[in-house]
Amino acid sequence: MQYEILAKPASSVVKVQLNAGDHLTCEVGAMVAMSTRMTVETTTQKKGSSGGGIMKGLKRLFAGESLFINHFTAREDGQYIILGPTMMGDVIHHRLDNATLIVQGGSWLASDPDITIDASWQGLGKAFFSGEGAFWVKCSGTGDMFMNSFGAIYAVEVDGDYIVDTGHIVAFEDTLNFKVQKAGASWMSSILGGEGLVCRFEGKGIVYCQSHNPSSFGSALGPSLKPRQS
Amino acid sequence: MEVITRDRPAFANVQVKMQPGDRIVAEADAMASMSTSIVMKTRWNGGFFGALLRRIFGGETLFVNEFQATAESELVITQPFPGDIECLDLNGTSMFLQPGAYLASEPGVKMGVSWAGFASWIGGEGLFRLKVSGTGKVWFGAYGGIFVKEIDGPFVVDTGHLVAYEPTVGMKVGMAGGIFSSFFSKEGLVSRVTGPGRIYLQSRSIDGLAQWTNRHLWR
Amino acid sequence: MSFTITQRPDFALVTVQLQSGQTYHSEPGAMATMSPNIELKASLKGGLMSSLSRGLGGESLIISSYTAQGGEGEITFAAGQPGDAVHYALDGSTDIYLQRGAYLANSEGVEISSKWQGMRGFFSGEGLILLKASGNGDLFFNSYGAIIELDVEDEVFVDTGFIVAFESTLNYNVTTLPGARPGTNWKSLFLGGEGLVCRFSGRGKVWIQTRQIATYLNWVHPYRPVQKNNG
Repeated sequence: MQYEILAKPASSVVKVQLNAGDHLTCEVGAMVAMSTRMTVETTTQKKGSSGGGIMKGLKRLFAGESLFINHFTAREDGQYIILGPTMMGDVIHHRLDNATLIVQGGSWLASDPDITIDASWQGLGKAFFSGEGAFWVKCSGTGDMFMNSFGAIYAVEVDGDYIVDTGHIVAFEDTLNFKVQKAGASWMSSILGGEGLVCRFEGKGIVYCQSHNPSSFGSALGPSLKPRQS
Repeated sequence: MEVITRDRPAFANVQVKMQPGDRIVAEADAMASMSTSIVMKTRWNGGFFGALLRRIFGGETLFVNEFQATAESELVITQPFPGDIECLDLNGTSMFLQPGAYLASEPGVKMGVSWAGFASWIGGEGLFRLKVSGTGKVWFGAYGGIFVKEIDGPFVVDTGHLVAYEPTVGMKVGMAGGIFSSFFSKEGLVSRVTGPGRIYLQSRSIDGLAQWTNRHLWR
Repeated sequence: MSFTITQRPDFALVTVQLQSGQTYHSEPGAMATMSPNIELKASLKGGLMSSLSRGLGGESLIISSYTAQGGEGEITFAAGQPGDAVHYALDGSTDIYLQRGAYLANSEGVEISSKWQGMRGFFSGEGLILLKASGNGDLFFNSYGAIIELDVEDEVFVDTGFIVAFESTLNYNVTTLPGARPGTNWKSLFLGGEGLVCRFSGRGKVWIQTRQIATYLNWVHPYRPVQKNNG
């Protein structure tokens, strides 16, 4: 797949080149601009598959993504599409080779149509305490995919263990496991120090972290905003 | 200890590569990720009363975290808002930081709250300011990009754009223009800073973002 | 007059050097810093009707004007939102259409007015009227997110929420994406989230922004304080 990531790391978008017959599966609403010899199709499922689509769509909905996904197809050579995420932040490319990546809800942007997009239940404890959603997006298969974040994305190659603060996880390979634990040596210290709970990854694989925590920013800005009705 | 500020200016974050025994102090909730060989200890931000003063008047957190490496380790620290991070190397010198700007420091850096005066307060910059002094590196952050000005005489800065300044810089408050123009131009009161000295400014302000957001919110 | 734009694309800052007696205009609240010899005036520039038309274009009725008195002066402009800024030198041959909120500042000789978009603008849901910049001089416009310049030689679709500005040499109409037209696949129109797009054709430049305000407002919603009922 020929692509270019522009305006890194805070206003990033990805421009993907498509030739006649090429497909790209995208998050709903991600299209910023595109050439005109393209067709869009909206479904609840992987392109070309039949049955079970609605359930996968519903699970994606729980994972913080949309019920629907868009499939773009080029009708001629030399077409392009520019995709942008909703939040200020980065876009990165990841190549799957018969592997699985677990992506935080809302961070999946686009992928090769051969990659299966499903939701993955991370367990009640993690759902409550990881600062992320209960469902994550599970991307498996072979092909190219794009993810987005709030903040810049940095990759950490874990071999052993590594701690990531809640709210800073973008994605991780399923060869890693994580558990939620206290940040400091004691509970008192963890809570007073403002770090509270952290995620401890174990195993061997890549974890993608985002440099900033969207809810910290939201909480800093929120009090200055116009009140809402509900 | 090797420190790199990455992803400047929009999403600056500080990557700290630590050797056994290295220590760094950071404001609460600044850690994004770290090796498991780092021990985090929480303490009052300079004693109980000092912490209380800094919390109330310096806009800082009541507690700070001290990170100490027990083996070769990596620590990533960040701030709540998008923007740049600047590093100062203090060598017996001092600098004033606006409330909320402090991010992290080496153990030799001292923090205190100092009276900024009514002019600062009326200009929207706070009645108190944080004073950093001592020896070592200190990191402070901004919302937006940071730009530096060496001023010799007076200079006009809009409310909310000042991040840090040297102790030689004086501050007065004034109107941006006449009464009518100051009000309708939305500039209102501005800070008239006077040199000589170095000032650090941010290219955006949280107030500016809030006003822009509120203009687009129709309910 | 000379200028620089620094800290692109996320926190663009426009710095303008004014000669003695020269004047610049900006949207209210855009000044970040200035030399002490610059005089600020707020006015209904161009008279009441011109101001009202700017107001309809989604901009403030008031324009701030800055004049360097008795010597050179420096002024910096910054928007409230994180984003980019672009300079365009108007030479009288091509006008620029600006999306709601995109206007930042201009030199003397530039005229800012509004243009009724009729039903085209209505369907786009992005404000009924575009601002039109014409004349001779320097124009600065800004965005939410980075600005990408597209050189249209044939045609291009841009989601209506991402348009910042475009040259008046281009033809444009609001439409739906192919495959999303009613009767072919209604789901893409209503559920596909892409909604309506603007098709630009002909030759000219379109400036697009990499983020849209609507999704940011949705994100910020839960962090807003809740209105207290006084009843």
